[in-house]
Amino acid sequence: MVTFTLNGIVHSLDVPDDTPLLWVIRDELKLKGTKFGCGMGLCGACTVHLNGQAIRSCITPVATINGQRLMTIEGLGTPEQPHPLQKAWVQHSVPQCGYCQSGQLMSASALLAANPHPTEAQIREAMSGNVCRCGTYPRILKAIQTVTNAMTGEEETL
Amino acid sequence: MIDSPLNPSLNRRRFLKVMGTGSGGLMLAFHLPGCSQIPPGQQENSLRPNAWLEFTSQGACVLTLDRVEMGQGTMTGMATLLGEELDYDPSRIEVVFAPVGKAYVQPDFGLQITGGSTSISSNWVRLREAGASGRAVFVKAAAEVWQVDQSQVRTANGVCFLQGSDKQVSYADLVALAATLSAPSSPELKSADQFRYIGKHNARLDGRSKSFGLADYGIDQEPDDLLYAVLIRAPRLGSTLKGFDAEAAQRMAGVERIFACDAGIAVVAQSYWQARKAAEQVKADWQTNELSALSTEQVFAQYATGLDEESGDSVRDDGDLDEVLATAEQLVEAEYRLPYLAHATMEPQNCTVWIREDRCDVWAPTQGPDIARYVARRASGLSESDIHIHTTFIGGGFGRRLSQDYVNEAVLIAKEFDRPVKLIWSREEDTRYDLYRPASLHRLKAGLDRFGKPLGWHHRIAAPVVLDHYAKDASGAMAPGWTPPAIVNFSSNFASWITPDTSAIEGAEDLPYDFSAIAVDHVKVDPGVPISYWRAVGHSFNGFVVESFMDELAEKAGEDALSFRLKRLQNFPRHQNVLKLAAERAGWGYSLPEGHFHGLAVHKSFGTVVAEIAEVSVEQGRIRVHKVTCAVDCGQVVNPDIVVAQMESGIIFGLTAALYGEITLKEGAVEQSNFHDYPMLRMNESPDIEVIVVESQESPTGVGEPGLPPIAPAVANALYRATGQRLRSLPLRLA
Ligand code: FES
Ligand code: FES
Repeated sequence: MVTFTLNGIVHSLDVPDDTPLLWVIRDELKLKGTKFGCGMGLCGACTVHLNGQAIRSCITPVATINGQRLMTIEGLGTPEQPHPLQKAWVQHSVPQCGYCQSGQLMSASALLAANPHPTEAQIREAMSGNVCRCGTYPRILKAIQTVTNAMTGEEETL
Repeated sequence: MIDSPLNPSLNRRRFLKVMGTGSGGLMLAFHLPGCSQIPPGQQENSLRPNAWLEFTSQGACVLTLDRVEMGQGTMTGMATLLGEELDYDPSRIEVVFAPVGKAYVQPDFGLQITGGSTSISSNWVRLREAGASGRAVFVKAAAEVWQVDQSQVRTANGVCFLQGSDKQVSYADLVALAATLSAPSSPELKSADQFRYIGKHNARLDGRSKSFGLADYGIDQEPDDLLYAVLIRAPRLGSTLKGFDAEAAQRMAGVERIFACDAGIAVVAQSYWQARKAAEQVKADWQTNELSALSTEQVFAQYATGLDEESGDSVRDDGDLDEVLATAEQLVEAEYRLPYLAHATMEPQNCTVWIREDRCDVWAPTQGPDIARYVARRASGLSESDIHIHTTFIGGGFGRRLSQDYVNEAVLIAKEFDRPVKLIWSREEDTRYDLYRPASLHRLKAGLDRFGKPLGWHHRIAAPVVLDHYAKDASGAMAPGWTPPAIVNFSSNFASWITPDTSAIEGAEDLPYDFSAIAVDHVKVDPGVPISYWRAVGHSFNGFVVESFMDELAEKAGEDALSFRLKRLQNFPRHQNVLKLAAERAGWGYSLPEGHFHGLAVHKSFGTVVAEIAEVSVEQGRIRVHKVTCAVDCGQVVNPDIVVAQMESGIIFGLTAALYGEITLKEGAVEQSNFHDYPMLRMNESPDIEVIVVESQESPTGVGEPGLPPIAPAVANALYRATGQRLRSLPLRLA
């Protein structure tokens, strides 16, 4: 039995200890926003937050998150209450096929939580674990910069 | 169970039901949760003037999208075309994916497929007419309400206005009346200066759902009571199953059944992970054949033998090549070689199938729903009208999902259960069992006179023909629904005479440059490796070969690569124009930062002409692409920002191929498996990209693929300037 908090809700589940968190999220908890891309920690499609940090859920055995706090794309924001990055994503028409984008957003939001004013090089580095086969990188960069610039603007006016 | 993969707002309000009709066709009907279902064929008070447009009695405007959305922006593009003539804001249009249906067949191919960058070009008239006929019915209805002549009714954004008064009525309020009126069959279309949305509308209709994890892909389908399947596949090409031992695996938790089928050994369990783990415990024995020993080197040896020994098909023969080359002062010869490539869509192949007595439901991320239906029919033994294909959002296509192998497999497995089954490929299977972009070998010869003027051009290509592999399934979908699969297989050439295959020669036979003699030959050599269409197909290799060799000639002629090309493109003003635009913007010929070099290329594919200039440096032996400047002429632009996005996408996809892409075979097995050994370009290596979109009022042409072909030669040409090394094979590897 493993117990954890996901998007603010406590779950207790009876699943084999070695089941990757990804499949627990998708198939037990039926949250389909988190995607399967490689199963080896190489593409970032399955990125979720564990206690605020971006992790690859496809290589995280569910037993290791017992008692911890998780967030998926469904917890990041909703169309009614979007995360600033999600607004910027829509504004810049970032998604193409969209399949990688939950993971991209989870990586980007973890980055900004840890470092609200990353340089371009820091953004590129932090996001390099997330593959986008459709090549949306230029727009991801712009969208993240829109948010960091807005945050800078806010501070300046304070 | 969720039937509809569509935008969440639509899902929340109603469910889409796909129902069979007596005629074997399909029709869509909507019902509100909690309300009784409206019987098929009687969508009370809804207006459906044609196969694409529907206004529901609640006033919602619904577009039935007969192309699939795999990132290329077709959903937004089609809604823009419809909305333009309907006079309705495209962002208010709700979109549902089309079922299989005759009206939705792609005129270019005779199939209901999405490929060849054709969605905008082949719907340019069709969907605008659909919108215009819808608008005409509302005008008629409004005129009737106001008892005026139709010429006095104006429309804008879903509202009819009475000229010279403040009377107005929304389309939504007119639906009930409009539904009783007939729509004109060939309504008048707007002229370009009247466009309100075409050329301006940018917001992607699917941008929101995909930014909140709400878009529903094939892999997300979850009918109740679902089982999960994985397949154990033959480890080497051409091998077949001799026997297997699944005793230990069968006893593992959650395992339902393990059995052999035509596709391999199926392992079916309560959860994906249980199936995957059990599969590891199955021991299988395989019988090999002569293909099972194939290596990449043998493939290229077969190609070389073909080029040595056969003249091949002459696909272009202008002027007298021998005569012209005999007068040449210098002959330039080169051999180019391109590898097999995997598609590597981010969403691995998958398919969910539920077979009940007389009904087979298939949920699949497919680029060819009608081929999927044929394949499901063949695999299930059911009749065409019993097969229901539910198209979903697609996590990347690039040609991969024109093939329906995963649908075939899922049906073969689901046949054994009365519950729905979802088959999911691992990334390793996706890489090792893809149908690849064909490898090819090219021999080029050209002559220059003593002033460096090029005289003759000879391009010989050794490559297989994709349609030979594709025809078996495609012809089944083209044949009438009652045709028994056995007969379809017998006549699988059917597809090849309906749709001639240019996959090996496109981008080579249509060489735009002016030479006194041009010959292009294709020697068909098929080593037996499974192949398929891959983004830009033949253009992806011929573009590299032609544009690299042109640079070699410019160099031999002692001329600048840009002016050398421009002079030989007198009859191709669009090529000249994009070259000049890109060169000017990139600062071609001006100095760059220390150690940076420019390379350029221009290529036309799918009707669209693209020039690209790459700014490249080599740092500690590593190739770095800093900036790409791109100019594109795709005729009338429908959604400018989507054109830009598709150029960015094609460039990055093409850079992955240029810098990393290579599938190799050893003893009949693909050596690559996942993103560590089949790497993708990542954000820290991604160049800045600037795109110039040419304004034009010519009919629109595609943008999904044409951004790709010029990038590899542009980078290779820059590398030559940076290092003096002429790299004639991909991926680019410096000595
Ligand atoms: S699926 Fe987890 S990193 Fe690729
Ligand atoms: S949007 Fe398609 S993989 Fe990123």
